[in-house]
Amino acid sequence: MSGSEPSLLTGYPRKNGRWGFRNYILILPLHNVLNQLAEEVRLNHPAQSVITSVAHDWSGEIDSDWDRIHRVFSGFAVNPNVGATIVIGVGSAAEEEIVEAARAKREMPIAYLTLRDSGGFDNLRQRLMESVSEVFPLVASIKRESAPWSAIVLGLECGGSDAYSGITANPALGVASDKFVELGGTSILAETMEILGAEHLLAARAKTPEVGQAIIDVVARYERSITYEGIDIRGAQPSRGNIEGGLTTLEEKSLGAAKKAGNAPFTGVLDYAYLPTEPGLYFMDTPGHDIEQLTGFAAADVNITVFTTGRGTPTGSAVIPTIKAATNTEMATALPDLIDLNAGTIADGTETLAEVGARIFNEIIEVANGKLTAAEKGGHREFNLSRLYGSTQ
Amino acid sequence: MARVNSLIVLDARDNIAIALQELPVGMRIEQSDIASALEVQTVIPRGHKIALVDIAKGEAIIKYGERMGHAFAPILRGSHVHTHNVIGDRVSTEPTA
Amino acid sequence: MITGYANNSRGVGVRSLQLILPSVVCSTHLSKKVAEEVGAITFSHQHGCAIIGPDVAGVNDFFVALAGHPNIHSTLVLGLGCETLQGNELTESIAVKFPETKYVVIQESAGMTGALELSVEAARQLRVDAPHAPLDHLVIGVEGNPEAGLLDGFADLVAKAGHTLVLSNDFKEPSRNFAKLIRERTHVIASFPDANQPPTGLPLIPVVTIANTQSLLHQALVDDFDCRSGTSAEHLFERLLAVANGEASKSEAKKIGEIVVPRMVRSV
Repeated sequence: MSGSEPSLLTGYPRKNGRWGFRNYILILPLHNVLNQLAEEVRLNHPAQSVITSVAHDWSGEIDSDWDRIHRVFSGFAVNPNVGATIVIGVGSAAEEEIVEAARAKREMPIAYLTLRDSGGFDNLRQRLMESVSEVFPLVASIKRESAPWSAIVLGLECGGSDAYSGITANPALGVASDKFVELGGTSILAETMEILGAEHLLAARAKTPEVGQAIIDVVARYERSITYEGIDIRGAQPSRGNIEGGLTTLEEKSLGAAKKAGNAPFTGVLDYAYLPTEPGLYFMDTPGHDIEQLTGFAAADVNITVFTTGRGTPTGSAVIPTIKAATNTEMATALPDLIDLNAGTIADGTETLAEVGARIFNEIIEVANGKLTAAEKGGHREFNLSRLYGSTQ
Repeated sequence: MARVNSLIVLDARDNIAIALQELPVGMRIEQSDIASALEVQTVIPRGHKIALVDIAKGEAIIKYGERMGHAFAPILRGSHVHTHNVIGDRVSTEPTA
Repeated sequence: MITGYANNSRGVGVRSLQLILPSVVCSTHLSKKVAEEVGAITFSHQHGCAIIGPDVAGVNDFFVALAGHPNIHSTLVLGLGCETLQGNELTESIAVKFPETKYVVIQESAGMTGALELSVEAARQLRVDAPHAPLDHLVIGVEGNPEAGLLDGFADLVAKAGHTLVLSNDFKEPSRNFAKLIRERTHVIASFPDANQPPTGLPLIPVVTIANTQSLLHQALVDDFDCRSGTSAEHLFERLLAVANGEASKSEAKKIGEIVVPRMVRSV
């Protein structure tokens, strides 16, 4: 493929230059006491089909994780798949900071309604219903247009991996990722624990020595923080199950996970929930926890994700369409309503890596253009506030 | 009709391939991405690795076109490649008893 | 005298609820669907996978405490299958003490549709109409920091009636203080939120909220509180007994409040 190939994508143009592949009204509660209210309004408003919302356990505390929490909420609020956001809160300086940060990140309708100003839950519910109605025509007036290849900000994820992940779905996803990067798109590999042992190989693919060093450093920092907790990850990797499945070394296991990022050179390294600034392939420092990773992606303008899975998982994001690729045919057949695409055919010997890679590439385009994923059909809107520290200190 | 291979070669640079089914001793494997017919020397479980060439002690094991460790014992073409003859470069992963 | 419910192995509670307990974030969405379908309670959480060190036992033990709370008559554990906190092991550690417990796992249920059907069936099998039973010994939780005078008077009333008082005020946020009160098997809670915190509740324990009249936030939300500061110990005690006897507290009627799972370290 060449960089001049005409794009097959359509999307919603955003004023910050990003593109959305969905056009949601997001209801974002900033206190766990409002989780229920957000969901009630989503389910009861006539515009239900375009509304999305999340639930979480934050109750407004400002602790060592404040920077991370602030970044995630303000980034999530302005994900390009969102046309308008209504933040609901208790009414506090911390909430105002989050809303201001979101407004600075992207010019778009962002309303902020509070319990304090509304004088209670019932009035806030009423005001939220009205606010959704008010913003709906505005959001509905934004139409899909032909989008350039650079519109793609692809998140690469794996969860519930098995012995086939590294030889079927992951490298096939790598083929698709490489194509998008070559065409001028952006792709993000993540899960620091999943590259431990192979970071020197990824670093060798860095565009500059600084980026290479950053990949090495991010893994070292991660290892130190885990060791600090008194846990030896390396002693447990590869796990007994991995070895039984045929994985021999830690490098091999990590190489398999990293295969999602194909063979393209690395343009940069991102801290959790930080935005890529130019097209290319990135590594983002995230936990392996599926939903913490997905939420970090959402806060960093990722607008579509492919999630490879060996065991099968139903989860999805409230704002990012998440395509599930099965690593083996047995699971894809057993759990059909969880899976969008079967890459197990590579292990069955009935399709090549290149063929499945092309299938994933096409599926990404179709989903970007509006086809619903299994997770979207199932109504999945998982969200997780990732913490570096515990919630009990 | 679907073609069904016994092995998957992940990268042309690899000196190992992955068994897509359990491979019995003596089985002869011929497929387009393997230079010449390969005879299985030891049982290879499904999902495990088989040597595509003779690999000397100390030589790198190449999977996905990348180094994933090295042989600590010589490995004959067609033999099982696993923890009994391969170790990671950076970290020891010898299985505990 | 309080009339509660005989919730079998879990003891006598002031409510008789069924808990749909997702063992991991990946099964919380299914848990919600099942809870709606059968009229049970559940909660949104993000834990159960990629946890390490003290959190593995910590989250497990917290879930056992939730599942065995006296206001619960039965628990259905919903797992994904590949999570760190294995649903079958969690279920065993609950069922050994509280036999009215079942387990459904998504990865062995032919997908979400299959898992939903199996779960609804399992939840219905577990369902009981718990008979009324006298509750002589009430465990009352106090969250936050009531004024000293009120607390002293209230503690006296509780002691005279032969009930037990448990205090929890480690955090400013009520939802974080509730964890201890869940573990201590409190039947009802009196919550005194910090001046910057709204009134809140819990799905499984009725929470009576007391507004701090010095707080501008609480002044604005006064209709969402059950009582105001300055209320007498007698009034508060009566209100808690009425709620224990079945009257809905404000937060209970409005269905507000989330269960927050305590975590010691980061996810991996």
